[in-house]
Amino acid sequence: MSGRLCRRLLRLGCPASSAGSWSRLSGTGRPGAGRSGTGRSGLSGGGRMNVFSREMKQRQKDWAAQLQDSQQYDYLREELHLHPPPALLCTRSDQVGSRVADRVYDIARTFPLALDIGGGRSHIAEHLSKEVVERFCLTDVSQQSLRRRRPSEIPTHCVLADEEFLPFKENTFDLVVSSLALHWINDLPGALRQIHQVLKPDGVFIGAMVGGETLYELRCSLQLAEMEREGGFSPHISPYTAVTDLGNLLGQAGFNMLTVDIDDIQVHYPGIMEVMTDLQGMGESNCAWNRKSLLHRDTILAAAAIYKEMYGSEDGSIPATFEILYMIGWKPHESQAKPAKRGSATVSFGDLSKISRPSGTDQP
Amino acid sequence: MALPRVFTGAPSILKQIYLRLSSSMSGSNVWSRTREKMRLFPELFAQCANEAAVYGKCVAATTTGTQELRKDLCAKEFEALKICFTNAAKKRAR
Repeated sequence: MSGRLCRRLLRLGCPASSAGSWSRLSGTGRPGAGRSGTGRSGLSGGGRMNVFSREMKQRQKDWAAQLQDSQQYDYLREELHLHPPPALLCTRSDQVGSRVADRVYDIARTFPLALDIGGGRSHIAEHLSKEVVERFCLTDVSQQSLRRRRPSEIPTHCVLADEEFLPFKENTFDLVVSSLALHWINDLPGALRQIHQVLKPDGVFIGAMVGGETLYELRCSLQLAEMEREGGFSPHISPYTAVTDLGNLLGQAGFNMLTVDIDDIQVHYPGIMEVMTDLQGMGESNCAWNRKSLLHRDTILAAAAIYKEMYGSEDGSIPATFEILYMIGWKPHESQAKPAKRGSATVSFGDLSKISRPSGTDQP
Repeated sequence: MALPRVFTGAPSILKQIYLRLSSSMSGSNVWSRTREKMRLFPELFAQCANEAAVYGKCVAATTTGTQELRKDLCAKEFEALKICFTNAAKKRAR
C-alpha cells in the first residue's frame, strides 16, 4: 500500500485512538526527483508568486492546534451542534466541512482512495462514511493538527506535507477534497495543477476556500483606523481569490465540468477583539511576507470604534462576513459528457413555445 | 487575516531566544502579561460606547462625504475616546 502511494513513505506506527497510520515526508519546500512532475516544470514564464510565509503558517497552525480549547474555534470548519462557544453569537451556524461532505455524498459513487489537502484536524472525514470513501489520506503542514485530528470511521493515513508540493504519484486518487486551506497557498495555479495530476482520470476535486469579500468589515475598519491614526495603512487581511477568477484557474489547471458557488456566512461577534482572537485560534493569523509586525493600541481602539459604528447591528454585536467559495472539478475522461457536435440538433428552439400550450391535443 | 502581530509566534529574534531559554510559556512573561491586559479590552471598551460612537461617526463620514480621510482628521474625538478608555482602565486597576 505504501509503495502505491509514494516510494518514500515511512510508517511510523499508529496513533492510539484511530485506525490510521503516520507518514512523515521531508518534502516541504523541495520538489524531489522521486515525485512526478510537480508544478515547477509546467510553469511558463517567470517567478512564482510568493505572498505567504509557509513556515509561519505552519507555526501558527501548530500553535492553534495545541491550544487547550481549540475546539471552540472550529465553528466555521465544522458542525456546531449543542452550545455555541462563549465568545460569539452565531446567526447562521453553518459549517464548511459538513457542506463539503454533502457535496461528496451528492456524487453517487464510492471512492476507494481520497485525499484531503490542508485538512488539519480533519473536519471532512468525520462526516463521511466508509461506503462513500474507503480509504482516506490527510495532508497538512502542521504536525500538531494532524496529531489532534477528529476521529472518523474511515481508515486514515496522515501525511505531513506542504500543499504546494504534493508528494504523491500521478493518477493516485479518486477524490481530492480541500476545506479552507487553499487561501494560504502561494502558487494557486500550480497547486491546482498538482491536484489535477494526482487525480485519476474521471476523478473529482471538491474544494472550499475562503475568498472574495471575506472579512471586508475588518479590513475596512483597520484601514480607516490606520489612515486616521498613523497616516497610512498596511495590509492586514490576506488577498483573496475572486469568484470570477476561480473558473479560469480551474479551467487552466485542466479540470472539466466545473461548478463554482458561493456561500456567505455572517458570524456575529461582541467586538473586534473577539474577531481577532477567534481568527488567531482558528490558525488563520496573517502570514503574508508584507505584514506589519505590530498593531498600535491606538489603532486597535480606533478600529474597534469604527467597526462598531460602521457595521454594528442593533443588539450591539458586529458581523464578520466569510465568503466561502465551493468548487467542483473533474479530471477529463472519455465517459464524461461532451458538448454536442454542431448541427446535431433534432429539435429547434422555436418548438419551446409549443411546450406550454394548453393541451387540447397530446402535445408534450 | 489580521492580528496584533505581537501576540503571534516569534516575530523577533529576541523573542525566539527568550522562548528557547524559558522552558514554557505558562510562566509569567511580557507576552502573557500583555495578553492578559488585552483580554480586558472589550470590557473597558464597552464603558466608552458614546465616545466610540462619536469617533466612529466622524471617520465614517469621510467614506460618504467629499472630505478625504487624512491623519488626525478626527483627533479631538479620538482624544476623548482615549481619555475615557484610560480612565476606565485606571478604575478597573484599582
